[in-house]
Amino acid sequence: MAPQLQLGALAPGPLPNSTEVYPPTRPGLAAQGAEVYRSLGCAQCHTRAVRQTQALYGARLNEVGNSPNTLLLPGLGGSDPKPVNLDLLLALATIRPDLTIAPLPLPPALVGDTNIVARLKQFADNVALLKRNDTKVGINRPTSGPSVNDLAGKLPAAVFERVSIEAGERAVKYLSDAGAKAELTFYNLGPDIERGWGARRTVAQDYVNDSPVLLGSVRVGPDLASLATRAPEKFAAPWKFASTNTAAEFERHLLVHLYNPRVLAKDSTCPSAGYLFNKQKPEIRAAGEPLTVPGTDAPVFPKHEARALVAYLLTQRVDTGVAEAPVPSAPKAVPAAAPKAPMKP
Amino acid sequence: MTITQSSSQSAYSSAPTAAQVESACRFPVLFLAFSGGAWLFAGLTLAALASVQLYNPTFLEGCPWVTYGRLRPAAVNALTYGFALQSAFALALWFIARLGRVELSSPLGLAVAAKFWNVGVTVGVLGILAGDASGHDLLEFPLYASLPLIASYVCIAAWALLALHRRAEREMYVSLWFVGAGLLWFPWIFATAQSLLLGWQVTGVVQAVVAGWFGQNLLQIVLTGSALAVLFYFVPKIVNRPLANPGLTRAGFWLLLLIGGWGGLAQLASVPAWIPAVSGAANFLVLVPVASLLVSLWQTVDGKVVEAWRANVTFRFLLVAAGLLLLSVLRTAFLGGQSTQYTFFATARTDIVLLGVFGLSALGALLHIVPRLTTGEDELPSVGLTDLVFWTSLLGVVGVAAGYSLAGLVQADVNMNVTRDFLKDGIVASAERWMELNLSAFGYLKLVTAGYAALTVAALAFLANFGLAVRRCFVACCGGAR
Ligand code: HEC
Repeated sequence: MAPQLQLGALAPGPLPNSTEVYPPTRPGLAAQGAEVYRSLGCAQCHTRAVRQTQALYGARLNEVGNSPNTLLLPGLGGSDPKPVNLDLLLALATIRPDLTIAPLPLPPALVGDTNIVARLKQFADNVALLKRNDTKVGINRPTSGPSVNDLAGKLPAAVFERVSIEAGERAVKYLSDAGAKAELTFYNLGPDIERGWGARRTVAQDYVNDSPVLLGSVRVGPDLASLATRAPEKFAAPWKFASTNTAAEFERHLLVHLYNPRVLAKDSTCPSAGYLFNKQKPEIRAAGEPLTVPGTDAPVFPKHEARALVAYLLTQRVDTGVAEAPVPSAPKAVPAAAPKAPMKP
Repeated sequence: MTITQSSSQSAYSSAPTAAQVESACRFPVLFLAFSGGAWLFAGLTLAALASVQLYNPTFLEGCPWVTYGRLRPAAVNALTYGFALQSAFALALWFIARLGRVELSSPLGLAVAAKFWNVGVTVGVLGILAGDASGHDLLEFPLYASLPLIASYVCIAAWALLALHRRAEREMYVSLWFVGAGLLWFPWIFATAQSLLLGWQVTGVVQAVVAGWFGQNLLQIVLTGSALAVLFYFVPKIVNRPLANPGLTRAGFWLLLLIGGWGGLAQLASVPAWIPAVSGAANFLVLVPVASLLVSLWQTVDGKVVEAWRANVTFRFLLVAAGLLLLSVLRTAFLGGQSTQYTFFATARTDIVLLGVFGLSALGALLHIVPRLTTGEDELPSVGLTDLVFWTSLLGVVGVAAGYSLAGLVQADVNMNVTRDFLKDGIVASAERWMELNLSAFGYLKLVTAGYAALTVAALAFLANFGLAVRRCFVACCGGAR
């Protein structure tokens, strides 16, 4: 009955492994823009809340790693000898019964190395054992097509995508046991996220700097919670960057949208905010850049409010992970460190 | 508390007569009722203009005062505070005077307070159009408009509660329970919400929680309660039977107060998940009190529906309002969750309660009350206008409710399926589709505009009939006939 008793003390919090707090305070112009957004009632048609229906998991293989059975075999994947982790290949074959296992031929140069000959022999035996086991439990492993060797050859590799947390954790355990470096990944899912409206669900923390909090309750137009991170092709009316100065172009696109949404999308019902623009160059010195609207000749001059509103829209981004709603990390570029010499038994 | 409407006067020799009671409450009740009707007209006009912009964005383009983002909240708040709450005050005063058999003291002062309420609403609506909306649903009036509203409310409610306290008829009939609860409930929720939102400015999404909590209590307890007061007063009176099931009614009343305020947050996102979960459960639980209250009314009518429908125009309004009440709680319980989140389906709920459940009950009641307080007759001067009020308001409410709900289902489909194109399948479709047909002239959102337009006609017809009655009364008074 008393809503004031909950959540009331929420404040911007520190980000893990960083000295910054989240959410950051809005710069002055954007804060003024928030007032324009409230005053024009944009929240009557636009929500600022990303929904997520599900989170699924995956396993990513980052490094082949070192195990007693990591060998440097020349002639595989280019001229340089690449480390091949035999345990990892077996582990991958165990958790991915849909992949073939390519045999590892003995490179002619190493015919004399008894150590390597013995290990490859052992590997071939293990593969045979695995295949026999496959037949026993009824797994129909394909005989051609992508192989576990391919998978391990191009890192980082997604071993599993969009599976349950149990399947993901099991895969990571198998791969780590084989000495490889693997991590559990996850996927935020839901129509909003697939539409490109944000990287994760929004949570209470995202709004602690807003007052009033304009969550909106009807989506006549697209959600704006993460407008600033939206890819041009994910807009309701998709568009493309024409140059490399993407930031300036994004800003200009939003200004044109405010001036007349129907220039960009014929069927748009977003109201035009043409009253935030001057037709004549204003007298004041800080008139700012004129804006050329496609399809018209005379440029228009955005007023201060228009610039503020766009600045506010450009602070709308839901791409920082927080404890209760993490954001998937991009795969780390694996340093192409030279592998150490194959371990001597 | 009693469950019969006392009609015997003999027990209370000192009690005022019906005529004295009526003459004491005449001026404030008529003033509030007429102002309420005028705001109904104004609010519906704003709502109709706003709804056109949903499919014709160049309509009224170029002026920030009438952009959709300002017109829509101005309309909703004009309807809520100008029409609904104001008419609820009129009904409350009348029920207290009538059922408590008490003369309102200094009715002129009460009318001054009511005048202040209207000043507050006017300032608030202009404030929203000027861009000062607070940004919280159903609480959009800026602080400078809310303060006169609170001040005026304190006077009206204090007057009403004092009158309730001084009532000659000590037993309280069901309608007075609802009236009393509403009079105490509204200041609690309004003051709490306003002080938390505009005073303290609580942090972050708590604001959305507070606003949602306020809106739910306003719609489901204060306004629905007022509609139920009307139903419980008029239904037994019209069918001429005592209330059939007092126990059930009492249980329904208390359960509604207990549960009714908890819903309304079921579609809130970005808050801890238990909040929408609890709210969704409450939306189901509230079916129990609503059903028990309606069953109790149904048993009272006991098969005389058709007869009463033919004989009494107020009953027609009440039957439709009761049906809409059942419909609104059912649709919220079963479809009011994730699936219709962020769609017009939820907008429809506000309109159904404001204009349908409350609006139709209030109009029905006023068609009974106004003639008694003016001409002293049983019906308003023009039977034709009364019929027009009924049919246009019925069609209007159905149009608005169906239009928004169907457009909401179109949006829900787009919301849930990434494969749907946002513009083509959502925006164009909700304006140009009718079931499976493409009818650009008659889409769901156009139905909404038609509904508001029909309701505007109803409001005008009501005001015209009201005006006729007042004129006749003046003529009679000046002629010294009364
Ligand atoms: C009548 C409802 C309505 C109102 C009010 C409204 N919009 Fe829109 N908005 C839409 C619709 C519909 C679209 C999708 C069509 C389009 O891209 O133009 C949209 C699209 C947008 C987009 C592009 C987003 C995307 O992903 O394509 C932005 C940015 C935007 N609106 C900003 C605003 C701002 C700022 C305001 C307040 C001044 C506002 N809108 C008020 C309906 C509305």
